[in-house]
Amino acid sequence: MTRWFEDIEVGAPYPLGSHVFSAEAIKRFAALYDPQYFHLDEVAARHSHFGGLIASGWHTVVVGHRLMVDALEVEANRLRAAGGEPGVSGPSPGVNTMAFRTPVRPGDTVEYTLTVTSKRPSQSLPGWGLLINRLEGVNQRGEPVYHAEVVAFSKLRDYRMPLGRKLAAALKPLTRIGILKRLRANRR
Amino acid sequence: MNPITSGRRHFEDLAVGEVLVLASVTVTREMIISFAREFDPLPFHLDEEAAKASLLGGLAASGWQTAALSLRLLNDAFLGHVASAGGLGFSDLKWRRPVLAGDTIGGTATIVALRLSQSHPEWGIAEIDFDISNHKGERAMTMRLANLIERREVLMTQPQQPYGTEHGSGRA
Repeated sequence: MTRWFEDIEVGAPYPLGSHVFSAEAIKRFAALYDPQYFHLDEVAARHSHFGGLIASGWHTVVVGHRLMVDALEVEANRLRAAGGEPGVSGPSPGVNTMAFRTPVRPGDTVEYTLTVTSKRPSQSLPGWGLLINRLEGVNQRGEPVYHAEVVAFSKLRDYRMPLGRKLAAALKPLTRIGILKRLRANRR
Repeated sequence: MNPITSGRRHFEDLAVGEVLVLASVTVTREMIISFAREFDPLPFHLDEEAAKASLLGGLAASGWQTAALSLRLLNDAFLGHVASAGGLGFSDLKWRRPVLAGDTIGGTATIVALRLSQSHPEWGIAEIDFDISNHKGERAMTMRLANLIERREVLMTQPQQPYGTEHGSGRA
């Protein structure tokens, strides 16, 4: 999210926009990453239980990711224009679950939504908060295409470093220099 | 009978513990930028200078690209040779270390569970654990995939209709 950890609202759905999947794009993605016959070849796909060409589930997911990156960029620019300072998001450590539901066929429109379902300060990364993002896609008939639980980091605005940690951080360069000096002395 | 998959390995031919050795792929700067432009246009996947200043330490592939390339390796080693009926999804995907431009990734995929579909007797479900490392032997990504695989035997176990009854023999 482009909001600071403290400002992120849990449970509020955030629309990311929609995307129309063309047969050409479905086949192009499949040829590179998921060349199964029902993602790649309309004629062969008729023999599958899908009865025709469908997009790789991974294709629908990465398109959702792209829309999220774009939507958050727009939000960050809006905040800057209003004189605010956007929050900072960190790299994602992973995905808890991803379920592919209704297949996406050529011409389908998928609408994507992001909802932060929980947040807590990170234990391992001081100054950062851990978010659980629910991402979902729904087609033009209202059928679920996929839903996922993705883990993300978001920076705390009001983080105060504990005194002990501050001291350790301040001393760290000194100890490094000390070690370097000792190493050099030993080499001589 | 599905003519595309009839000659391939079916659910019955798979065993828990089977280790699929994946080929490897070198992730070039061009591949990283091309994927990022389309699906993940963040500075540290697009621009070397911005990437050096970031937590990732250099031009790094989108985690989704690492996952997609791993899926491609599984296609070449396995999914293209079995009667796959599509993916159900995945779980516990962990991006453990950035994949940087020039890194070669590869690894193994292990069948860790096989069960029958509750709703579709014609399918089984294979759960497959990915273990993807870079050329230095450092683990880059792990995840568990669930994929539907056609059963070969299901048609044989269905009740057989005696010849003629279905079309009303004797009508002629």
